[in-house]
This record gives sequence, structure tokens and C-alpha cells, in this order.
Amino acid sequence: MPSPPSHVAPHPAPRPTPHPAPTGPAAGEPAISCRGLTRHFPGGTAVDHVDLDVAAGSVLALLGHNGAGKTTTIRLLDGVLAPHDGSATVLGLDPVRDGTALRRRTGVLTENAGLDDRLTARENLLATAAIRGLRGPSVQRRATDLLDRFGMGAHADQLCRGFSTGQRRRVAIARSLLHDPELLFLDEPTSGLDPAATLDVLALIAELARERGRTVVLCTHHLEEAGELADTMVVLEQGRVLVAGRPAELAAARWPGVGVTVDLGRPATATELELVAHLPRVTWATATPEGLEASVAGRDDVPALVAALAAGDRSVFGVATRTRGLVDVYFDVHEGRS
Amino acid sequence: MTAVAAPPTRPFRWSVVAAVLAKDLRATRRSKAVVVPMLVVPAVLLVGLPAGLGRFARASTPPDLSGIAAHLPAGIADRLAGLDARQQLLVLVLGYLVAPLFLIVPMMVSAALAADTFAGEKERRTLESLLHLPVEERELYVAKVLFAFLPAVGLSWTGFALFVVAADWVAWPVMGRLLLPTAEWTALIVVVAPAVAALGLGIMVRVSARAATTQEANQLGGAVIMPIILATVGQASGVLVLGVGWVLGVGAVVWLLALWLVRGGMRRFTRDAVAARL
Repeated sequence: MPSPPSHVAPHPAPRPTPHPAPTGPAAGEPAISCRGLTRHFPGGTAVDHVDLDVAAGSVLALLGHNGAGKTTTIRLLDGVLAPHDGSATVLGLDPVRDGTALRRRTGVLTENAGLDDRLTARENLLATAAIRGLRGPSVQRRATDLLDRFGMGAHADQLCRGFSTGQRRRVAIARSLLHDPELLFLDEPTSGLDPAATLDVLALIAELARERGRTVVLCTHHLEEAGELADTMVVLEQGRVLVAGRPAELAAARWPGVGVTVDLGRPATATELELVAHLPRVTWATATPEGLEASVAGRDDVPALVAALAAGDRSVFGVATRTRGLVDVYFDVHEGRS
Repeated sequence: MTAVAAPPTRPFRWSVVAAVLAKDLRATRRSKAVVVPMLVVPAVLLVGLPAGLGRFARASTPPDLSGIAAHLPAGIADRLAGLDARQQLLVLVLGYLVAPLFLIVPMMVSAALAADTFAGEKERRTLESLLHLPVEERELYVAKVLFAFLPAVGLSWTGFALFVVAADWVAWPVMGRLLLPTAEWTALIVVVAPAVAALGLGIMVRVSARAATTQEANQLGGAVIMPIILATVGQASGVLVLGVGWVLGVGAVVWLLALWLVRGGMRRFTRDAVAARL
């Protein structure tokens, strides 16, 4: 995880004085557990028998194409929608029976920032705080700190009407953090943000989970970001779970061994591919525009592969091992379906 | 867990209602498209028009009302008896004929604001964020009802106060006494006008929760509200003639109807139903 630029985030997320003391699950215990969660709409089934387990203090990447059921899943888990079948326990609560108590402890960044254009950035935060029962100087300080942290301090008292997409996003993120939630649902948190702000938000998510034990459910189309942050991943398609688990474990099960990319300055010839493929402990080899890509049983097998190629007076400009992860699993799962 | 599982009843929190209401009122106050018509229309209907009519009645050569008086309800005819033609015209116009306006305005204002409650939040894409907040459904519904009700009643009462001043200012030189307020008028404004406002929003909030846009809510709700407005126009003056008891009785009936509508709407309102239409 790259460090955020100092001019954007000089200090960690301000700590608030929320009214309910967190009584949620300890790190490692499930913050979210659902079985057979199902929700139908007149147009079809949006969430179809979804099982999820998310450990407290971890980051779950909830992935899928548009319409896969990610937003509906969040709404079900936060008690905004009621399931037609299945059950869920979130922070130890039933989202249907204890929705209000649950939402007091969750923070949600919706896909649309959801700010009232007729209010200022600060008013949007303080109005939400008031509805949450948080008032007084400490909340006002916290709102100011959060707006400062996300680079919106200078715009705090401007109406949101004129804000860019990125500015709105930053205010909305600040609003979702105002009450220091135990569980955060973030739908496309970096959408519309500039690179510096994107890094800051990613650093914040990592900090919230790793250092402060908050649980984060992250919906994003930016797979690289998800790959950096996620402890676990779930890929949804048409409301069903295609794959779920730890990205590294899922990748290892699909691609045993270590991926090696060799830069020859040109595509590898058929002879070269045959040479490599016949080396012991090489699983497969394929040509790339710059050379070849192969899979070996372990890192210790890489020198032998390079030596075999270099032995024939070939120029080897570079070698890199590649660890497959969330991005590869995501595309592999979808390619397998198409 | 199923969609039909009823959550346990929890204490109603007025502080949450006040917070939602304060947010909505603050935001609406900044919306010129809403505030300007909301102030101008009542100003014209409740103050400008009656004052203008009264001034015209005072200044022009009074028409002979004897022919009309024969066809007026006995109550009005009794009150016109013994007055000269100019006085008769002022009493007729300011005392009775403008009464429907004071019921139309609160209904119009409450219906317009009520149409904006949920449908407006959908249009502004703020509804989902609101649904993710720790607000009970009843609290949210009551906040939205009050958001439409309080400004409508406030405008109606303020308009009446200004109307009384304008009417008496116009009528004093002719009448030599205060024309308004009367007991009937006071009952109409204090009891019936808020009831009519509640009736309008009782319909419109329910429509707004189902509509996708404010325009759609206005169109759907308007089809129901318009006949009520027309009925109001026809009956308001007549009720004033019948006396305070009748005014209060009509007010009680409208209040019961309005409360039944609001209560029914609140019972049917669920977060799930609203979120399913997002």
C-alpha cells in the first residue's frame, strides 16, 4: 500500500466520541454472517441464496458486473431491504428486527454520494449527525477534521450544488465516517476521485481495518484497489456467489506454482517455448509480445529456466515472478462463465 | 428471517423527527423554486386579492344587491340586513366569498410539499442515504408529514393575520368597526384549515412514497386532490354562514378523515417498500 500524499492526509482519521460503545464481535469473529440470503423483485431475483462470512476487522471485496446484486446485498445486510428467504446476522444483530440499532453502528457510502445539494458540506454532515443523535462541539470538531482530512475544509461552508463528482464523493466519505462506525459499506469509494485522493481513501480503508479493527465491505470496479485491500473476496453474478474466499488461496488453487514473465525483447519462438515447457517443474509456457510467460513449481526453479534460455545466446532483458491474486481470480471466474 | 417478520415496537423519538424535519426545512428554505411560489401565491390569494376586492367594493359605485340578497342563504341575508349597499358589498366579499381561498391555500401548499417528500428525495438521489440512517419508519413518516403540514399551516395562519389587517384597513372607513376576525372565521382558520392541510398531505405523502418523481406524484395526487379542492370551494362560504358549531363540526370530520389517511399511510409505509423502488 503506497503512503498517501502528505498534503492530503497529514494525520490519521479523527477519532470521534460516538454515543454507543462498540459491542460488536472481536477481530476474527464474524461481523457478517448470512445464509441463503435471497431477494426477489418484479424484474427477477437480485440476490439468490447468498452465503457470506466476513471476519471482524477484515476487508471484504464484493465484486461483480453491474446488476450482479452488490447494492441489493448491502441493502439487505444493513436492514434497508428485507430478504424473502435466508437469514443474516450483522454485528450480532438481525438486520430486519434490529435494523435501527444496526444502522447506528454501520456507515454506508452509497453509489451516489447522496448529498443534499441545497445544504453545505458541513450542513450535510451535521444534519446526518443530528439524525444519529450526535450533537455538540465535539461533533462539529469531528466534522471539520474529517472535511479537512479529505481536502474539503476550504469548501466546508459552500453548497454542495457546485461540487464536482470527486468533491461530492469526499464529503460523502467524511459523512459515512462521522460516527466512527464499526462496519463500513463502501460502494465505489474512489469513483471520481483524483489519484491523490484515491490513495488517501485506500490508505484510510487499510488503516480502519488493520489498525482500528473496523470491518469494511468494499464494492468496486477497480480490481487493483480491491486486490490491495481485500482479505476476502466474493464475486457475484446475477445474484449468485460465483466464488468466495481469500484471493491468494483461490489463486493458488487455480494456478499452482509461480508465474514467471521473461522479457526477450520479442515474442518467444515455438522452439523456445518447447525448450521451456520440457524443463522439469515447468507446468506450461506461452508466448507474450515481449517474450514468454511460464509457470514453475516454485521460486527456486526460476534460475534454471533463465539459464536454459540464456544458454542459446539469447538476450534475456528481464525476469519477473508474478503472484496471481484477486484480479486474476475475478477474470478467470468470469471467463469460465462466458 | 422473512420479509413479513414484524420488528418489535420501539419508543418513538421526537428528537429524530426534529432532526429530519430541521434538515428538510433548512434545505427547502434555500430552494427558490419552492419558496417563491409558496410565498407569492398565498400573498396574492390571501392578501392581495381580498384587499383589492375590498378596495374595489369600497371605491366603486355599489351595485344593487337587493336582487342577489333574495337568493342568498338566510344567514347571510340576515347579516346584510340594515347595512347600506357599500357595507353589504364589503361584508359579502370579505366576510364570505374569499373564505374558500383560506382552505385552498393550505391544501395546495401541503400537497406541493408532500409531493416532494419521498419522490423529491428520490429525484435528488438522497433517499438511499436517508434509509441507511438509524431512523424508525414511523419517525421518518411523521417527519415528512410535519414537513408538509407545518409550513402550510404557518402560511395559512400568517396569511389570515395579514388578511384581517388588510380587510379591516379597507373596510374601516365604510363599516366604522372591525369586520374581522369573527368567531366563524377564527374556527375556520384554526380548526378547518389545518385539517384540510392534513387531508391534502395525507393523500400526497402516500403517493410520493410510491412515485418516482415529484412531477409524477403531483400528477397522481392531483387527480385526487382536485375534486376535494373543488368541493372545498363550493362549501366553505356556506359553512361560515351556518355558524361556529358547524365550522367546528366540519373541522372535526375533516380532521378524522385526515388522521385516518395519515395513520393508514404510516402503517403501510415500510423502508423495504420504498427501497425496492429505488
